[in-house]
Amino acid sequence: MALQSPPKPAAAELPATALYCYGITAVTAAKAQPGAGLGGEAVGTVRCGELAALVSGVPPGTVRARRRDLMTHFDVLGEAFEHGTVLPLRFGIVFDDGRTLVDEFLCPRHDELARLLRELEGLVELRVTAHYREDAILGEAVRENPRIGRLREATRGRAAGHPVMLELGELVSAEVQARTARDARALLERLRPLVRRYELDEEPIAYQLLRASFLVERKRVKTFDRALEKFASENPGRVDVKLVGPLPPHSFVELSHGGRR
Amino acid sequence: MAIATQGTASNYLQRAPSPSGLADVIDLILDKGLVIDAYVRIAVIGIELITIDARIVIASVDTYLRFAEAVNRLDLTQTEAAGLAELRDGGGNGSDKAKGAFEGVKEKVSRED
Repeated sequence: MALQSPPKPAAAELPATALYCYGITAVTAAKAQPGAGLGGEAVGTVRCGELAALVSGVPPGTVRARRRDLMTHFDVLGEAFEHGTVLPLRFGIVFDDGRTLVDEFLCPRHDELARLLRELEGLVELRVTAHYREDAILGEAVRENPRIGRLREATRGRAAGHPVMLELGELVSAEVQARTARDARALLERLRPLVRRYELDEEPIAYQLLRASFLVERKRVKTFDRALEKFASENPGRVDVKLVGPLPPHSFVELSHGGRR
Repeated sequence: MAIATQGTASNYLQRAPSPSGLADVIDLILDKGLVIDAYVRIAVIGIELITIDARIVIASVDTYLRFAEAVNRLDLTQTEAAGLAELRDGGGNGSDKAKGAFEGVKEKVSRED
């Protein structure tokens, strides 16, 4: 498939000294990693002051975004998160060597990174996705919006490109969006009091009610879980809700400049 | 990873204390997390493909037509019966079509192991 297209020549230019960086943790929380990093390379640390960057060598060739590579990135961070707060880096960040990492990133940004680590102490990311079941949400639209019901009857057996079909589809789309907005607002109102911060994923995906990350105190994870459980139990057969975590705070790490995005 | 939600078993909420698959965390790994300036190489093959493929946006005539067709296909008597069965059985666990399709995309783009 496309991902396996020939490696770009530039990829081979990574120096032998290159270090892949997974994330940043406090020196006091940096423990030896039992598992291997990308391409089976050992995971170690590069340090400056209070900070330890979790790094490994780069496998011969280059870094690739295969399933196991992505999961390895995630697993290294998850392992470090067992021992303390960790600031995840986005996948695919490689420094020329340890010196560059220390001189150009870890030391110049030391105070800011250390502050971020302290701010995130005791906090975890919970990832929530909620999706409507197609038949349930469409059934509601048809039953509860008379215009949709009528148009549906009128368009039965029409060709897909017929203007009336477009009208019907537009109405259904608007109805689904209105329900999504209403339900998402209701769900967020319940969860908001339980969290420090939250971030909604932007891009809408069909029948998705909510995809969001919540920054939650560890001791409130159970309360959050129960609130979400209650919402799910009130929408059986209608909305599927999934909770992933506790995770390191991937969605809540930002630097003042040259940071996210 | 610590299982903080242990002991609150439920049929309604699907829980994954640690991610059960790449689909659960691919957004976090690719789109979130610290990004660092100037002195860094981002040396990854395939990222663009993954992020583009994974984004299915609703905003077109195509979408309207798909909605129209889906509504026309819908068997209301069946969905009502199914709804009741769900209530009686205490909810189902996640075989939603839309979600399935989306996760399918993610699985597809990163299947190469």
